[in-house]
Order: sequence, then structure tokens, then C-alpha cells
Amino acid sequence: MATRMKLKLKTVFVLYFMVSLLGLVYALMQLGQRCDCTEHDLPKDRTISRLRGELHRLQEQMRKSEATKQPQKHAVKPSPPTIFVITPTYSRLVQKAELTRMSQTFLHVPQLHWIVVEDSPHKTPLVSDLLVKSGLAYTHLHMPTAKDRKLQEGDPSWLKPRGVEQRNEGLRWLREDRRAQPGGESQQGVVYFADDDNTYSLQIFEEMRSTQRVSVWPVGLVGGMKYERPVVEGGKVVRFHTGWRPSRPFPMDMAGFAVSLKVVLANPEACFDGEAPMGFLESSFLQGLVTMDELEPKADNCSKVLVWHTRTEKPKMKKMGEDNEKAGRGKEPVLVHFPVREDEDDQVLIRDKKRGREEEGEEERRMKREQEEGMKVVKRTTMKNYRKVRENRQK
Amino acid sequence: MPKRRDILAIVLIVLPWTLLITVWHQSAIAPLLAIRKDDGVEGKREAGGQAQDSKEYCASDKDIVEVVRTEYVYMRPPPWSDVLPTIHIITPTYSRPVQKAELTRLANTFLHVPNLHWILVEDSQRRTPLVTRLLRETGLNYTHLNVETPRNYKLRGDTRDPRIPRGTMQRNLALRWLRETFNANSSQAGIVYFADDDNTYSLELFEEMRSTRKVSVWPVAFVGGLRYESPKVNAAGKVYGWKTVFDPHRPFAIDMAGFAINLRLILFKPQAYFKLRGVKGGYQESSLLRELVTLNDLEPKAANCTKILVWHTRTEKPVLVNEGKKGFTDPNVEI
Repeated sequence: MATRMKLKLKTVFVLYFMVSLLGLVYALMQLGQRCDCTEHDLPKDRTISRLRGELHRLQEQMRKSEATKQPQKHAVKPSPPTIFVITPTYSRLVQKAELTRMSQTFLHVPQLHWIVVEDSPHKTPLVSDLLVKSGLAYTHLHMPTAKDRKLQEGDPSWLKPRGVEQRNEGLRWLREDRRAQPGGESQQGVVYFADDDNTYSLQIFEEMRSTQRVSVWPVGLVGGMKYERPVVEGGKVVRFHTGWRPSRPFPMDMAGFAVSLKVVLANPEACFDGEAPMGFLESSFLQGLVTMDELEPKADNCSKVLVWHTRTEKPKMKKMGEDNEKAGRGKEPVLVHFPVREDEDDQVLIRDKKRGREEEGEEERRMKREQEEGMKVVKRTTMKNYRKVRENRQK
Repeated sequence: MPKRRDILAIVLIVLPWTLLITVWHQSAIAPLLAIRKDDGVEGKREAGGQAQDSKEYCASDKDIVEVVRTEYVYMRPPPWSDVLPTIHIITPTYSRPVQKAELTRLANTFLHVPNLHWILVEDSQRRTPLVTRLLRETGLNYTHLNVETPRNYKLRGDTRDPRIPRGTMQRNLALRWLRETFNANSSQAGIVYFADDDNTYSLELFEEMRSTRKVSVWPVAFVGGLRYESPKVNAAGKVYGWKTVFDPHRPFAIDMAGFAINLRLILFKPQAYFKLRGVKGGYQESSLLRELVTLNDLEPKAANCTKILVWHTRTEKPVLVNEGKKGFTDPNVEI
């Protein structure tokens, strides 16, 4: 009995030992991938530590140079007013790319606080992660747009005003946040509405920092023209140079003005009116805040273009691919010959006359003519709509 | 005697397990520690990584990138380092209304990248003052070149001689400039990247490509009619194919923004250029890469080609209806 027991135990032990040995070997194989690169790892580690040392040296240099500058700076200037940038955003294919390059621009601007308001019932991880990694000071909000106010697939972009609820939410948060912080210091600041597809130069932020009430400047590539701008005479804005509806109270784009925080806080009811007719969104906000002669012209008396109303194309997806993309799948669609030329969208695109050196002659001209006709029709219908709305309003 | 045997048996059982646990523990904890030191959030995302090696490499990479980005805020451009290989970015550009906007936001991105050399090649007869001024004001390290693509190549309906793909002559000029400026024997480490002026680049991308030995590749979003195109990478970390719908059998089914080349390779093969004519749509990148490298030599980046670090965005052509025939706005104002 004893020997059998011993034998049994022995086999158990041997088995157990073999299993553990196999397990250890397996684990080492798994880590073996690391082992494969140990010849690389050592030099890699060395490079990394060398780079880190280099980095620290450079940072020391920076700190030293800043230290020599700072005592003078501190004696002269207090901290500059914070620029609060309110950006409405919504989920679409290019959202991450747009927010990424926006954050890359904002990283260069000191004292900037980015308020991102998503058009969504809850905060999406894409935006949350992006904001965390950006290194910026930010506030992440969300406010869904009501279904009937939302643009549907295939609607032209000007059909319904966009970003209204989101900008108002940003204003609401700002007012609430500032009220919670007592003291005159918290009233220093400038509020700017920056859409996520525009292009901003770094100078525009320095221009707007000195806003006392509402400052304005030209905006490029908007209003169907190369740029729209306020016309300045004697240091005051007398009228607006725009090709579309210049009779609006404030015929300018969202990116063409900034409001001082004091004014925003002093007028807690001022917000964007979603019912305003097309092109009147900015006016609906500014009307109660300021008059035209109180506007402060920036950008060298409104002669330089420092911000551009660029728009990003919707990426072309193959038909099946698009449906799958909506479902979140990545199936392989039917092979379609992908044309090399740029394609027209729902929007009417009219080629810049200066780019006449490009492409095909007659077909081009025919297309151009069609597009111009289309644009005229569009203008006519919008004017009709506007008149209708005006009438209804008057009633 | 049986007591000693028992003890021996127990030791033999326990020893491998303790070994296993200590080694496993060490390897699992170290990269996590490195990640958590910098940013707790990153650790959460990277914890799902496959190969331990890439995890650690990514962690240290993130280390450096994170620090660079937040420390060098407001300091532009970052001070030149003697250690980092220079990234030579070749950007062809041409005059159109959105040109200044595109170059401005591109410059805003590049101002974050240390040791960057921007080679901007205009498609024009002369260097335009717009670009000259822009480059000077950014403070970047740049080289401004120009070459005009001849217009007579665009004959209507001439399929035998289709037009030269846009930017080819400009990129070739930049390659030639690099070959003339840098000696093949010099020890200056460099990476060459072709960046179009309307794409979007994350800052991580530049740190990924800095370690290129020959040619490195990664996925690009919004190309080929897909959400993204990417190289196919096998378990050994080698590229064996292309995950695309549009002609995946091209020798290099990749977009211009999806690869970077080590400068040494460019100098070593001075005859390698983009083919000017007779190039089918989508084969331009292959026309250069097949002279430089084989599929086997490609280095996959961006976590074995699973992360998107560059987006092939395109900017809409602005509607300038209201300019009319004579031009409504003052032509002296630069946009």
C-alpha cells in the first residue's frame, strides 16, 4: 500500500513538475518576443535615455531664458485676459481630424480656455480622449439639437442654423462658472465662437485679447467672396463690405467678432436665436449687446485677413461602405473605379476664375454655366423664404 | 528521509511557479508604471496591447511626445536638438483661394515638431510673395522652391498622354534638392515625408516616423473611398499586403501621406524619382517606392498599423459667386 501510494504521489509530483515547467517555458516564449529584440532594446533604451537627457537640458535652457525674461515681465504685466473659445461640434467622419488640427493651433495661444460643446445626448469618448491628450485647458459640454432643427442627410448646409443650442449652452456654462467665482479678476476675458472647420492664424487671438466690448475683423472665404470685412473710417466701423444682404444689423460671420466677458456676463439673456432667418444668427446675438459705432475694429483697421471660413469636404465613401460605416462595420464593398478628379457634392461649386489653367475646356464651361444657374435659383428661393419669414414675423 | 524527499518535492513544485510569477510581474508592471507616471488615462488605453515590446516602446514614445507637447507650448518652434533625426517635409502647393489658410494651419501644426525642416515647393513660375512672407513669419526652418508644371501636357481627350499627377514635378524637385544638398556620406540622420497641404497630421505621427530605418508605413484615413486604408501586417510584424478596396494589388497600395523614407535611402538611390508620365491613377507612390524598397523591408508604425495618425482631409472649394466678373473685393488684400 505504502509503495503504491508513494508511486502515485511520485507520478503526481512528476506530472505537476512537468506542467509547471511547460507553463514556464510557454511564458518565456510569450516574453520571448521581447527577448528577440533585446539586441535592439538595449540600444533603444540607451537612445531613449540619451534623448531624455537632451530634453531635460533643453528644458533647463528654456527655463533659464524664461527666468531672465520673467522678472521684467512680471513687473509690467498682470496675467493676460483669458480667451474663451466656444466650439460646437458634432459627430461625423472628419470630426477627429478637425478637432486635432484646431487643438494644434490653440496650443500656441497662451491663456486660452477651450469650451467644446458636442451636439449629442452624451459626451463621446472620442472627444473626451482628444481633449485630455491635447494638453489644453478645456471644458467639455454637450447639448443635443432638437430633431426638427437638425439638418438631414442631403440638406444643403445653409438650410437650418447650426450650432445654436451648443453655443448657447457654452454661454450658459460660462455665465454659471463665472458667477460661482467672485471677484473682479474673473470678469477679465474674451469670448470667441470658433467653428471646428475654420482656419485660425495665431495673430487673431492676440488681436482679440484687447477687446473691451465687441471687436470685429475681416473673415476670408465667406459670403460668396474672397473676404467679408467691416469698413472702417476714422477708427470706427461705418458699414460692412459684404456681398450678401448688407442690410443685416451685423452682416458678418461667426468667426468675425469677439465679445468681452464683461459684456456677456452683464447681459445674461443674450443668446443666439435659432428662429432667426438665414444669415441673421450673429445679429440675433449682437443686437442687444452693442451698436455699430461701439464696435472695435482689429486686424489693422480691418484690412488684414487673419481667419478663414474654410470648409472640409465630406470624404467620399463607396456606397456600401457608407452604410457599413454608419453601422460601425468595416466590410469590403464592391469594387468601384475611384476617379482621380475631385467630385461635386450637393453643394454648388464654382471654380475660381483664376484657376483657369486647370482642366477640360467645354465640359467645364457647360458645368460652370449649370452651376451658376443653380446658384441663382438658390439665391432666389432663399430670398423668397426670407421675405416670407419677414412677413410672418411682422404679422 | 521521507521528510527530506517531501521537502525536495515541494521545492521542485514551488520554484518554477515563483519564477514565473516574478518574471511575469516584472514585465507586466514596468510599462504600466512608465505610462502611469505621465498620464493615467493613457495607461488605460494601452493596457489592451498585444506584444509587450510594442507596449513598452509606445509608452516611452508617449513619454517623450507628451512632455514635448505640453512643455513647448508657447515656444515656437521648439529648440533644435542635436540628437533627433531631422524630418524633411516636402509639401507641393499651388495658388488658389484657400492656399494661405491651408499653409497657415499646416505651419501651426509643424511649429510643435522639433527638428523639422519644411521644403515647400510652389507650382508657379516664380516664388510668390504670399508664400515667402508666410514662411518667414512662421519662424520655421524651411526651404522655399518652385517649379511650374507645364500646362501643355493637359490635352483634352488625349488618353495616351494624360496629365502629370498634381505635385509630381514639385516633389521630384525637392528630392533633387535633397540629393544636391546632402552628401551621401554625411552622418546627418534624416527622414523624408511627403505632406500635402490639405491633410491633417497628428503630432504623434512625426515621432513615429523618426525611427524609420528604410521605409515606414502606417494607415491613412479617408483614402480609397474607405474610412481608412492600411497595410496588412502579419504576426511577425512584417507587411505582406494592403487592406484597400481600390486595386489592392498595386506594388504599394498606399497614399502619399502613408509612408516616410529614410534620407540615407534617398541619397543611396539617386535615380529614384516619381514617374512623371504614363502613371495609372493610384500608382504614383509605387513608382517611387518600388525603386527604393521591397515589401519585406517596410516597417509598420502606429502600433502595427492599428492607429490612425493622419487624415486625408480635403478642403472644399469656396463659393466665390459674389465676386462677379470684375471682383467685388479689393485684390490687394491677401487671403
